Amino acid sequence: MNTIFSKFRGSLALKVIVSTIVLSLAVIFAAGSALNSQLTTGIKKVNLQSSIIEARSTIFNAQYRLLLAQGQRDSEVRKVVNDVIASATSLSTNENAREVIFLKSPGNSIKLNYETTSNLVDPDSIPKYLSDKVQKGDDISISYVTIKYIGGSNIPGLAIGDKVSIPNAGQYEMYMLFSLVNQNTTLTLIQNYLLLTGLFLVLLIGLITWLVVRQVVRPVRQASRIATQFTAGDFSERMNVRSQDEIATLGNAFNEMAESLEKQIARLENLSRVQQRFVSDVSHELRTPLTTLRLASEVINSSRQEFDPIVARSAELMVAQLDRFERLLQDLLEISRFDAEVAVLEATEFDLVALVQRCAEDLLLVAKERSTELRVYSIVESVVVQADIRRVERILRNIFSNAIDHAEEKPIAITIVAGESDVAVGVRDFGVGLDASTLIQVFDRFWRGDPSRSRTHGSTGLGLSIALEDARLHNGELEAWGRPGKGAHFVLTLPKDSMATISSRLIKLQPDDYHE
Amino acid sequence: MTLVMVVDDDQDLSEMLGIVLTGAGIDVDLVSRGDEALEVFRNNPPDLVLLDVMLPGLDGVEVCKLIRAESMVPIIMLSARGDSHDVVRGLEAGADDYMVKPFKHPSELVARIRTRLRRTNTDISGLLTIGDLAIDVAAHQVLRAGKQIALTRLEFDLLVALAKEPGRVFSRDALLSEVWGYRHSTDTRLVNVHVQRLRAKIEHDAERPEIVVTVRGVGYKAGVMGRS
Repeated sequence: MNTIFSKFRGSLALKVIVSTIVLSLAVIFAAGSALNSQLTTGIKKVNLQSSIIEARSTIFNAQYRLLLAQGQRDSEVRKVVNDVIASATSLSTNENAREVIFLKSPGNSIKLNYETTSNLVDPDSIPKYLSDKVQKGDDISISYVTIKYIGGSNIPGLAIGDKVSIPNAGQYEMYMLFSLVNQNTTLTLIQNYLLLTGLFLVLLIGLITWLVVRQVVRPVRQASRIATQFTAGDFSERMNVRSQDEIATLGNAFNEMAESLEKQIARLENLSRVQQRFVSDVSHELRTPLTTLRLASEVINSSRQEFDPIVARSAELMVAQLDRFERLLQDLLEISRFDAEVAVLEATEFDLVALVQRCAEDLLLVAKERSTELRVYSIVESVVVQADIRRVERILRNIFSNAIDHAEEKPIAITIVAGESDVAVGVRDFGVGLDASTLIQVFDRFWRGDPSRSRTHGSTGLGLSIALEDARLHNGELEAWGRPGKGAHFVLTLPKDSMATISSRLIKLQPDDYHE
Repeated sequence: MTLVMVVDDDQDLSEMLGIVLTGAGIDVDLVSRGDEALEVFRNNPPDLVLLDVMLPGLDGVEVCKLIRAESMVPIIMLSARGDSHDVVRGLEAGADDYMVKPFKHPSELVARIRTRLRRTNTDISGLLTIGDLAIDVAAHQVLRAGKQIALTRLEFDLLVALAKEPGRVFSRDALLSEVWGYRHSTDTRLVNVHVQRLRAKIEHDAERPEIVVTVRGVGYKAGVMGRS
């Protein structure tokens, strides 16, 4: 039932056809009924009139002949009655049957009995009300009755009766019964034809509607199918346009739109390809001279003891700035890969706890320089994740370095929590913190928390934006919390399997140690 | 004296590499075109090849395949692009190691070269066995039923590292430090690609390895034949 309903809602053609059929059914039914009732009334009227004329003359004739038999003997009168019956009735009991019944009026108490019926007709065929009507009326009385034969068969009929008097026997009622089998057969035939014609018309209308609707719906269906292909990225197909009607206009408009879309997308794709190519070329072109520069600067730097102090310091600065330049180049390339959506995730299985510990150890010296330390707290000894270890390491280094930069000589707490399908790493520092306005900018490119604050070890200002992109590439999330003077809390949540999505937040962003 | 063939089309970088390597006591043969590399290699076989990926004439990866087809000499690829596609292509073509330009420090380059050239495991004498293979460490040979299997020096080192401690499960990081001499690199692609190459040479069925067995989530270990 549900599927029929949904099919109905889903198909314009079906909807139109069904409504057309329902409406035309109603119209045809109304017209058919009217026609049927007109025909029935007409036929019955004609039949009735001829029956009345016949009955009237027959009954009159019978009365006349009985009057002539006045004074005759009983057997003679009986013969007249039989003659009347014989001349008025037919022998068959079917379509054209005409029967006669003589009944003694209820008030008649004379002993002689001329009650008789033709052809085994049951006198019960005359209902009481008709008999009453005949006795009271001055003229003939008419009623539709069922003609019953002794032996079982019943046929519909018309009974017309009047009073007659039989000599020496008092008042009798004489009825003529006309079979209506013929008339009813005709009427049934007409009804059947009407019904058949109606059904045929409905079917025809349904078929015509279907043909018409198909002409409209087919292009619409084609358009929607092609639009679906567009969504899937296939821009090759077009609508067939053969005529010059409104549908063709739709088709042409659709095709023009497709053409324009295809061009735009091709242009954008090309632009993106050119951009990507450019970035790749810049990368290659810059890296080779940078390699030469670095090697040269290191060679110079390694013999700086032999230089005078100014040249020696210059060599040192050159090396340091080349470092910074290289990092900047790498970060820019990484960002452009994210922008071009060509960053690829190379997932391997590794132990996240071990990685966190190693990153913390690597930053030991940097932390010491800043008089702070990284303390790792993990509720699990190890947790194996399926992720891109290079990217996860980069996220961790970025948020750890960021914490060291802002820790204000207070120790930094790193917590690791593993859940059913996710893992989370929280980095809590108790340093300068962040206010609400900087909190929303913290992942922006080249954003600088405090312009007067220098960046440690030449961070590029792209670290946190790259970390966020890295986290999202894993279907994970990197979030920041902070209050001025109360420190900051960065929480990285990753799915254990990079193909999955995170379903929980294992570490609350607002740290438990903080109360508003 | 050690000879390193440097194949790079950038004249300045080649010269600089020459200066650095010569300073470290290594002889250098400079080649600037890919299609000339193989000829120079044949005429004057070096102890190691430093090979740039992007080369005029013939692509570095192709050069790597050609050299590998006739020699087990250590090859280090130089790539100007950090993306893994280049790197994996180079490793699959038979390179032992790779370095992404720009290198951190000249000493890093020299260290990598020395790692690839050092005679490893000189303390082990006699035969090691792993699976149905016998390893003659001193003779640098791997034998199966008396027949020698040709391995590059790096593949040999990898196999020996596993065979030396049959019970131990090596993490990829441990192998990187043991075989490649990295203190801590996170680039496990090196290990993965070389394990695949090694398996292709020594396993009966590389799809179902029995000699170098993967320990899921951890790394690799020497397999015990007949027990898997």
